[in-house]
Amino acid sequence: MAILLLLPALALVAGVFLWPLLRYGWLSLQASSVLTGLVPVPNGGANWQRLLADGRFWQDAAQTLRFAGLSLALELLLGLALALLLHRPLPRRGLVRAVVLLPWALPTTVMALGWRWILNDPFGPLNGLLQSLGLPAYGFLSQPATTWLFTVLADVWKTTPFVALLLLAGLQAIPSELEEALRLEGAGPWQRLRRLTLPLLAPYLLLAALFRLAQALGVFDLIQVLTGSGPASSTESLALYAYLNAMRFLDFGYAATLMLGMFAVVLGLSALVLLAQALRRRLAEMAP
Amino acid sequence: MTTAGLHCEQLSRRVGDRLLLDGLSLSVAPGESLALLGPSGCGKTTTLRLLAGLDPVSGGRIRLDGEDVTHSPAGERQVAMVFQSYALYPHLSVLANLELGLEVRRVPAPERRRRIAEVLALLQLEGLERRRPAQLSGGQRQRVALARALLRQPRLMLLDEPMSNLDAQLRDQLRPELRALLHRAGHPVIHVTHDQQEAMGLADRIAVLEGGVLQQVGTPQELYHRPANLFVARFLGRPGINLLAGEAGVQLAIRPEQLRLVESGGLPARLLRREWQGSQQLLWLDTSRGELLLLAAADLTPGEQLQVTWKPEDELRFSSASGERLA
Amino acid sequence: MRSAARGAMPTALPLLAALTWSLLPLLWQLLTSLRTPEALVLQGPSAWLQGWTLANYRQVLQGDPPFWRYLFNSCLVGAASTGLTLLLAIPAAYGLQRQRPALRGGISLLLLAAAMFPYVLLFLALLELARALSWGNQLLALALPYAGLSLPLAVLLLRAAFADLPAELEDAARLEGLNLWQRLHRVLLPLLAPAIASTAILVFLFSWNEYPIALTWISRNDLLTLPVAMARIAGSSVYAVPYGAFAAATVLGGLPLLALVLVFQRQIVSGLTQGAVKG
Repeated sequence: MAILLLLPALALVAGVFLWPLLRYGWLSLQASSVLTGLVPVPNGGANWQRLLADGRFWQDAAQTLRFAGLSLALELLLGLALALLLHRPLPRRGLVRAVVLLPWALPTTVMALGWRWILNDPFGPLNGLLQSLGLPAYGFLSQPATTWLFTVLADVWKTTPFVALLLLAGLQAIPSELEEALRLEGAGPWQRLRRLTLPLLAPYLLLAALFRLAQALGVFDLIQVLTGSGPASSTESLALYAYLNAMRFLDFGYAATLMLGMFAVVLGLSALVLLAQALRRRLAEMAP
Repeated sequence: MTTAGLHCEQLSRRVGDRLLLDGLSLSVAPGESLALLGPSGCGKTTTLRLLAGLDPVSGGRIRLDGEDVTHSPAGERQVAMVFQSYALYPHLSVLANLELGLEVRRVPAPERRRRIAEVLALLQLEGLERRRPAQLSGGQRQRVALARALLRQPRLMLLDEPMSNLDAQLRDQLRPELRALLHRAGHPVIHVTHDQQEAMGLADRIAVLEGGVLQQVGTPQELYHRPANLFVARFLGRPGINLLAGEAGVQLAIRPEQLRLVESGGLPARLLRREWQGSQQLLWLDTSRGELLLLAAADLTPGEQLQVTWKPEDELRFSSASGERLA
Repeated sequence: MRSAARGAMPTALPLLAALTWSLLPLLWQLLTSLRTPEALVLQGPSAWLQGWTLANYRQVLQGDPPFWRYLFNSCLVGAASTGLTLLLAIPAAYGLQRQRPALRGGISLLLLAAAMFPYVLLFLALLELARALSWGNQLLALALPYAGLSLPLAVLLLRAAFADLPAELEDAARLEGLNLWQRLHRVLLPLLAPAIASTAILVFLFSWNEYPIALTWISRNDLLTLPVAMARIAGSSVYAVPYGAFAAATVLGGLPLLALVLVFQRQIVSGLTQGAVKG
């Protein structure tokens, strides 16, 4: 009886999540592009062979990892700081939280456009600041070596509030008696953070890390609007490359293969994070 | 055998490979009040939920006024229950709490109003109709829950730990009131408790459960003076019953208040400790037959040499192997 | 008094920094939106005395289609997705809570994995479906994938809320003869109202902000949702600098969310934190 109530929702979820993956599995074994008149023709493992030899795929994978890694690290760090701040008794707490939450709530494309103006060379405010300091203008969005750092900046700005709120939930779940007990034993703020807060926050950090890792590896909107993959494809992510293959080159077979390749990357890295966490816990248990 | 009231036979409840209730047979007559007594996890709440139809039975039969309701849905059994938490709908006023059930059973509005006015008067809840449950005291909440149960016009009234959310003083005050009310209402009543004082105060008969198995049913006096087995003997009575070594294969037991101190001719004993309890002292005695507890009015000091005795007919004799009482 | 002042010091500075970090980019958009194109490229302090204008807003609002059209489209899609999600998620959450613990745990884990999934991966297969079913350029059709994508989180949040209700409440209602629909409608859902509000606001935010699916499903100019419209504005002129108009668009596009966040801050926070606690 109760299972009947679940079924409609599970069916839609399966249709949206499971069906595409199955479809990609099949499509990745077909040639289906303008060359075949968009009619799928089985081509063995040709798409997969192409993927393994595709320099642009590996380049994009590396760029995506670079982006996700730095974003994740900064978001966890800043998110933790922000959560600790929001956990304190603050004046006008509701308003403060609303303001801090704002970047997360705005559509990515809206603020990506905003960042494009802020980072504009030479008229954007950031360059205005450089110039008023007597420094030359900098092409924030036109230097292949550094532009990715500013995509990270925009991503960190947008998603840190989300991480902070998850961690805030964790902080609020810690009974204040524990902290008070430790304080009575003479532990300072740093010791209390390291010995009590962080260990108890670990499950929340893990959850936030997994969630953000998966989302950052799928980065799409931000980069399409902020840099359009440029300059010189230096900020292209896996999702953008797959999008390009599907919508510009109309090569559905290969696009599907790329999607699955990206899925494998997400799955592999998430598994790695979980494994690392399990290992850390095991080591902690073995320690005297 | 009459058909009125509750009759259940060989009632069982199994979850996975755990037997929560094992072959319970009970009858409760209209107007009679039965307490299900036992430690936590003994199966008493399970029994209540089976009778209410909240959980499915694994075996056995339940008959209410002659009708087999073993597999009837909860809402169709005409069984009412006062929950431990009272389970008042927190978003509804007292009036709406009472009215909801009548409304879904399509009782016409004038009759609803009449019946609600009746129970409000009976339970002295007039003037509280507009309050939310959160704005009521513990005792008032209990009465609203009781009013809701009475409005069900139940064929069986179940109460799950009805006093456990009240403080001790209120409990003593409400127990006789509740007992009188339930008697007047005239339904068969089963109430679950782990508190023997509450069971004795509220119930005509007590059923002691342990490990999902019924140990004994009877009046409080029967259970106290003629316990069926060692478990019942030890579970009832505060301070607890004294155990003494008997002849081979026999466990002797004697209630503390049946021990007397004598000048001579008794069992020699040394006073180990004492606890002052107001009118009496609770004494721990060391004797050659084991440690004994007894209640005495005398003022004694630890270390004193005493002699203790009792009437042989007050001894309870149990089989050491099975725990059953020997005739 | 002294210790309170000393305690306040370490909070005030980081708080100021956090607020500045969150607000400065937004304030800059507001400022830019009120400046003429000439004023934007002027240097030096004197530039601030002139070049203020509302022309950017006029331009955006009088465009073809006018900007409010995108807001309307996004509202429509957001409302439809939220409604459909709740319609499916509430019974599902109730059903999930009634399952055996092992099955419940398994389904919850799968839902959690789906909630984390980088859904951009799915757009190609979903686009194929939309084409096969002729759902392209149909705003309301977007509610289906949006509901599908939101359901995992919505079901988890509501399941946790059902679990928090005392089981005795529903037992009491069953004994009084309320059927499933009456129990949900009369007893459980009114008590779940805060959790439903939190879930609804999160689903609405997701639908409002969603990009890749709207981008591929909708091509007609007057049917674009806000995020796609913004991206199209950006893509139309990569090297030109009509930033005043861009900024006016970002301000207009951000205002509804600003209002939403200010009004529903509590629900958003509790939704997100509930998700963390029970996830």
